[in-house]
Amino acid sequence: MSYRRSSILFVIALLVAAACSQPPPSAGSPTPQATGGAASTLVWYADTSDLISLDPAVAYEFTGVLLAHNAYETLVKFDGADLSTIKPALAQSWDIKDSGTQWDITFKLRSGAKFASGNAITADDVVYSFQRVLKLNKSPAFLFTDIAQIKDTSIKASDPSTVVISLPKTASPQGFLAVLTFTIGSVVDSKDVKTKETGGDSGSGYLLDHSSGSGAFVIDHWTKNSEVQLKANPNYTGSPKPALGGVLVKHVPESTNQQFALEKGDADIARNLGAQQITALQGKPGVVTTTGNSLQLVYVGMNVTVKPLDNVNVREALRTAIDYDGIVKDLFKGGAKKVQGIVPAGLAGYNETTPFQADVNKAKSLLQQAGQTAITLELLVPTGPAPGGVAWADLAAKLQSDWKNIGVTVNIKQTTQADLLGTYRAQKGQLVMILWGPDFPDPDANVGPFTDYAAKSIAFRNGWDDKTIAAKGRDAALITDAAKRSTAYKDITDYVLHNGPYVVLYQPTEPFGLRSNVKGFVWSPMDWTDFAAISK
Amino acid sequence: MRFLGFLLRRVVGIAAVMIGVSVITFAISHVIPADPVAAALGDHATDAQIAQFRAEYRLDRPLPEQYISYATGILHGDLGKSIRTRRSVADDLADSFPATLELSFAALLISIVLGVPAGVWSAVSRGRIPDYVVRVLSLAGGSLPVFWLGLIVIGLFYYQLGWFPGGGRLDTFVSPPPTRTGLYVLDSILAGDVEALRSSLVHLVLPALTLGYFSTAVIARMTRSSMLDVLGQDYMRTARAKGLREPVIVLRHALRNALIPTITIVGLTFGSLLSGAVLTETIFSWPGLGRYATASAVSLDFPAVLGVTLLAAVVYPVANLVVDVAYYWLDPRIQRG
Repeated sequence: MSYRRSSILFVIALLVAAACSQPPPSAGSPTPQATGGAASTLVWYADTSDLISLDPAVAYEFTGVLLAHNAYETLVKFDGADLSTIKPALAQSWDIKDSGTQWDITFKLRSGAKFASGNAITADDVVYSFQRVLKLNKSPAFLFTDIAQIKDTSIKASDPSTVVISLPKTASPQGFLAVLTFTIGSVVDSKDVKTKETGGDSGSGYLLDHSSGSGAFVIDHWTKNSEVQLKANPNYTGSPKPALGGVLVKHVPESTNQQFALEKGDADIARNLGAQQITALQGKPGVVTTTGNSLQLVYVGMNVTVKPLDNVNVREALRTAIDYDGIVKDLFKGGAKKVQGIVPAGLAGYNETTPFQADVNKAKSLLQQAGQTAITLELLVPTGPAPGGVAWADLAAKLQSDWKNIGVTVNIKQTTQADLLGTYRAQKGQLVMILWGPDFPDPDANVGPFTDYAAKSIAFRNGWDDKTIAAKGRDAALITDAAKRSTAYKDITDYVLHNGPYVVLYQPTEPFGLRSNVKGFVWSPMDWTDFAAISK
Repeated sequence: MRFLGFLLRRVVGIAAVMIGVSVITFAISHVIPADPVAAALGDHATDAQIAQFRAEYRLDRPLPEQYISYATGILHGDLGKSIRTRRSVADDLADSFPATLELSFAALLISIVLGVPAGVWSAVSRGRIPDYVVRVLSLAGGSLPVFWLGLIVIGLFYYQLGWFPGGGRLDTFVSPPPTRTGLYVLDSILAGDVEALRSSLVHLVLPALTLGYFSTAVIARMTRSSMLDVLGQDYMRTARAKGLREPVIVLRHALRNALIPTITIVGLTFGSLLSGAVLTETIFSWPGLGRYATASAVSLDFPAVLGVTLLAAVVYPVANLVVDVAYYWLDPRIQRG
């Protein structure tokens, strides 16, 4: 007994001694916060399990892109939710010149721009940043290598405030400007990052969980699986200046938990609320709900290598039979917008035409014209919730019942998205329901995949090889005049609407819950928000 | 010497279990008809990216060759690279395991502190109201789904009453203590950080109660039945005949002997706590192994799933080994046997 007691005393003594001693410096642990505390910090609750890296040359996931967007500036940008016009950012002006063999785009940098470190931003930083993207060659790098088709040598600083980037004539200059608004176009502080390079990693080890940019915020710390803290950048030279002292992004995967925390005031904004939570929040004191647009489209691909889907009238009949209004109004209750073209609302080239709506007689006569009476097809559907918050299975059941009205029997086969994509990519689906989001905010990011069989993307997966429309799509991408480009896309989208192998069902919207004292929140369809515009 | 032999046999046994587990998990994760490449690279990947990815993760090699290179890696302490997080699986595990360990220890502590007295109380008042109460509560503990229980607990104690925080390991504006063990309670004591200690303790209460309810019920039932066994023994009658007071009889003579099967259950329970942590951690935003395992499984991240499985395959037998060693010293009959 006395032995046990003395050993307990010994342990307590050890603990006290350890408590009094100075803690050792620990490399992995975050620095204590020096932000203004709760009053000036926005608390953002979200499922951040997708977070891999905060490095703008690496990040290609929702959370990483949201954070990097706020820690870095790009040469050009879109303002808020408006993705139709490209605006100046670090570049005060730019000029696209057709030099015969290539496009030369010259950017003039804004004078007086500074990084968070206080270093001036020069053309060398831009060259370093873009070459770094090519060298690292991570997930988003294809936007530079495949879409813009640029190489190391395409990026040059002609003087400290001028950058010239050359594109081959097969790449779209408008598309490249749109790519540059994305986080991959972020300009990093080359003087700072070069000192952090280890083993030829271009500083990606450091930028994984630190920032070295000129955005409105800097990364204070990232505690894995828990939180990321941003602090306002005192050297920010852009506008507007951040009203908040900081932003704390907390990893909370459960949406019910996000709802509770929002109501209790522990969270200022909740990112991942389902239809159920949004309904529960209606009329609650101190809380408001809002929606943001997204650029995704949910559609059914019809594989034209499978009979009778090779018949254009059969495809038109399937499109005509569906009750789109019912899907948008009754099923999604405002979580979706009726869009039937292949370019989503919000992008240049969006076609507002919606000619289809549950016309059973017309659909039946189209089937008669095709000589079809009884059709049986398989519909592949992912598991879990579809964008907009309704289960994929429920959406599939709705389609099944709509198609039954015109005598088309559809067997639903549900499988994981990964598995479904395997079948779809191999051109082995019949009807496949899935979503698509553009890689960069330009109509070419949808028109290319949806029309060009050779691109081995969506048109390929549905076996649709229409060389005329593919060529028109490639030509439209290269037009530099905005109005002419818009007309070209109108022609293409009109054609695909009635001839393509797609039933575009809807464009989802994203629900958010906010404390009512949060002002200035605008969600961009690029899947981010400017924290600098938010106050509370 | 005999003890060393015993220990050695068990350690060899654990090694054999690990080889078996790694082969089976590896085989399962590679024959399921789903493609981790599609899960990792998504809808937009080009053929070149897919080929590069397959080469990077050796998915283009024959299965036995993949296993051999994986197993060789393990022997060098390399568990491979996670497809989802693109980090070393060993680093990922080192980040998330302490949180789960802390939660599991807290849940185990709660189960022992509540379960053993409940079982004793139930046994000594057999057939009366306290017995029924304990039995009903422990039946409920064995049958309530953790996910449902967790949401009810949060709804009541966080949302309605506001007594405890609703998730996470620390309050929003409390910094974690400097990392030494990764267990926040221990680390904040070591750093002398009272605020972090208070915050980490209150954050442990709800998830540990939720997670520990099942094992509390199991321990209470086991303690009850073994207490009833012991209380019927001849030496109990002898003790009573000697005129010993009832508390002494129950606690000294009965409980000591009744605890042996309970210790077995505690060892087994620790393993089940780790698996129960999967759901508890999701509900309580607890940054542990369970959530890492779920996220990895959903994205078909087989190096991570294998890593988690192997870790569990070590923890489970090690917990049992600890129990066996405890027996060995506690019960002289085992030493002789």
